[in-house]
Amino acid sequence: MIDVRDLVYEYPTTRALKGISLHVDPQTITALVGPNGAGKTTLLRCLAALEDPYSGTVTVEGHDTRSEPRAIHSLLGYLPDFYGLYDSLSVRRVLSYAARSRGISPALTSAAVEKAAWRVGLMDRLDRKAGELSRGLRQRLAIGQSIVHEPKVLLLDEPAAGLDPQARRDLSGLLIGLRENGMTLVVSSHILAELEDYCSEMIIIEDGRIVGGQAVKVKDVERPRYMLEIATARSDLREFLEARAGVDVIEADQYHALFTHTKNAAARARLIRDLLAAGFEVSSFGESTRALESTYFSQVGKR
Amino acid sequence: MNPEFQRNVWLELTPGRMIVMVAVLALAFFAAALTGGGLMSPGGMARWGYYIIVVIWGTRNAARAVVGEIRDRTWDGQRLFSLSAGTMMWGKLFGSTIFNWFGGAICLAVVLAEEVVRSGIAPALVHLGYYLALGVIAQSASLLASLIAIGRRQGRLQFEIFLYQAAGLAAAVIVWAIADPSGVSFSGLPRSDTIVWWGLPVPSQPFLLVSLVAFAAWMLTGCYRLMRLELKMRNGPYVWLGFLLFIGVYVAGFDAWLSSNTSLAQLDAPARRLFLAATTYVALGYVMAILEAKDRVRYRWLGAELARLHLGRAFAGFQGWMMSYLAAAILAAALLARLGVTGLFQEQAIVAAMLGFFTRDIAIIVLMNMLWHRRGGDFAAIAVLVLLYGLLPSIFGSLHLAAGEMLFAPRAADPAWLSPLVAWTEAVLAAVLAIVMIALPEERASPEFNRP
Repeated sequence: MIDVRDLVYEYPTTRALKGISLHVDPQTITALVGPNGAGKTTLLRCLAALEDPYSGTVTVEGHDTRSEPRAIHSLLGYLPDFYGLYDSLSVRRVLSYAARSRGISPALTSAAVEKAAWRVGLMDRLDRKAGELSRGLRQRLAIGQSIVHEPKVLLLDEPAAGLDPQARRDLSGLLIGLRENGMTLVVSSHILAELEDYCSEMIIIEDGRIVGGQAVKVKDVERPRYMLEIATARSDLREFLEARAGVDVIEADQYHALFTHTKNAAARARLIRDLLAAGFEVSSFGESTRALESTYFSQVGKR
Repeated sequence: MNPEFQRNVWLELTPGRMIVMVAVLALAFFAAALTGGGLMSPGGMARWGYYIIVVIWGTRNAARAVVGEIRDRTWDGQRLFSLSAGTMMWGKLFGSTIFNWFGGAICLAVVLAEEVVRSGIAPALVHLGYYLALGVIAQSASLLASLIAIGRRQGRLQFEIFLYQAAGLAAAVIVWAIADPSGVSFSGLPRSDTIVWWGLPVPSQPFLLVSLVAFAAWMLTGCYRLMRLELKMRNGPYVWLGFLLFIGVYVAGFDAWLSSNTSLAQLDAPARRLFLAATTYVALGYVMAILEAKDRVRYRWLGAELARLHLGRAFAGFQGWMMSYLAAAILAAALLARLGVTGLFQEQAIVAAMLGFFTRDIAIIVLMNMLWHRRGGDFAAIAVLVLLYGLLPSIFGSLHLAAGEMLFAPRAADPAWLSPLVAWTEAVLAAVLAIVMIALPEERASPEFNRP
């Protein structure tokens, strides 16, 4: 869906992106993470065809950002890190304006507005003014504006900044729902724990480059990561697991193993039975929930 | 309805504001009527009301139309909209000023009523055309100035917004001074019923009105073209070429005014027309060279295309200053030929020197922008030009070395060819330096050339 090759972007006094190449598959949620000033926002702006790169190419669904920027604009929804809303307008008018400006015909605008409002949970506030909404609701409205035309690609820059835990959980659910409806999402964020809930891949940017040179697989819905802990050291733990069908060991020592395995409950039960039968004193077995954070910190600063 | 216009109507044209506007204006007209025209008639009050509401306040709103979106962080979202550049431009220009036009329409109705009663329908329509063109030109000049600044990645401070407004106000003052149908002069010159244009006497009132409409159309075209760039669309060279053709023909028609100028009186009519058009192109060349973004990558790409003799592609990528320079050079060449035919060799040398110094100055502007980043380059170039045309000649003058002034600006010299020789030597040096700076690889630059 998105292809970036050797992307270099320069501000007048700084080179912000230093030869980035990446690929984003359709119907995925890719996390864009990295320290402040790493180049995440600049990369998102280049993907949105809002900035022309100094060199390199960016294509979105086969359209080049230089030669067909308007074709890309029509495919996109984009929520900048600092966004503005027309505070004096009602939620309905904000969404209507976005829908009409995105090419939705007057006859279909009302339905599009209600669908977007329903998706972001603002159906009961359609006639409230945007300026009267809380921060979390404003964020929802901004996302509603970005998806009112059902874009194929949604770029979100720090969408969860300033949201309370409930609003973050709602946001996760919304993004997963959008992906399931066929959208491809790229989400920049500092909050790794929140990205964990919905991202399948992570691109770590540091100092204008992708750390490790490529995206890191964070979570495979079909094959999650599991962490196994045993009470008594066994040097053959890795060997035993690798011999089991469907198990891919990521890392292991005498007490722990991190591996991927099918999400099927019966298969998991069978694996635990095999471990116990082989004399492994299993003290803990569960889905690893810190995969993204541990991957991030194992990569950042490596270069 | 244009969604951008609709949004502005929602925001600007609220019932409360409309009621206040009507009430305030009604009060003002009533007060004027009560004085019995002693202080100011209702029509005079309406004229001032129009100037204040549409011109002064309207230019402020037009200057903020896009800059305000950037400040409110809504512009990036709007740039992704499916609206065409024309729709966005109309929506912004007339949407952001819709409340001003609402008040202006009330004022115009009073002005028209007074003119119809006083002079009849035809003069009233002339007034209507003048006021509408004045408002459109002033507001579009402000929007144009703001879009130019945005293209240069600057212009969000209050002071800068004031500068864009000032551009609109300056345009309004020029229009008012030249074309106000109630005025007594054309920008200081005595008003007459006819204007001599291309040797023909033309009725002045219709001529001015058509001129205003034409310039308003070009202003709007300029806004449209800059809006296209904001929406990441490309602009070809032909519209600017069309404008050059228009302005060249328009300005050249006023050659009769030069016949009374002693220094140019000896030139025949074709030479005077060529001189006027070429001078206009030179002025546009300076303005555009300062205003347009000087992009090293774009210049490298142009150089590569020219080197490969892909002249059509290179021409399509020309900036406004490049085309203005080419047009000025072509007309200057024609003028040189004409002066040669008429035996005016001293004037011929001065024109050649003028073109040389113009070339040098353009090269200096580009060179300074290659040496400095962002606005610094243009400020440095202006400083160098002030030095070359102001400070250094005055130093030479104070040292009684008047001949030395020809090092910096076109001067009559003996022998005549000395001034062009000096000018073109400096021009070649500056151009070579600029080209070297463009071609010189930056420390961290990629060797890959890309079309901007």
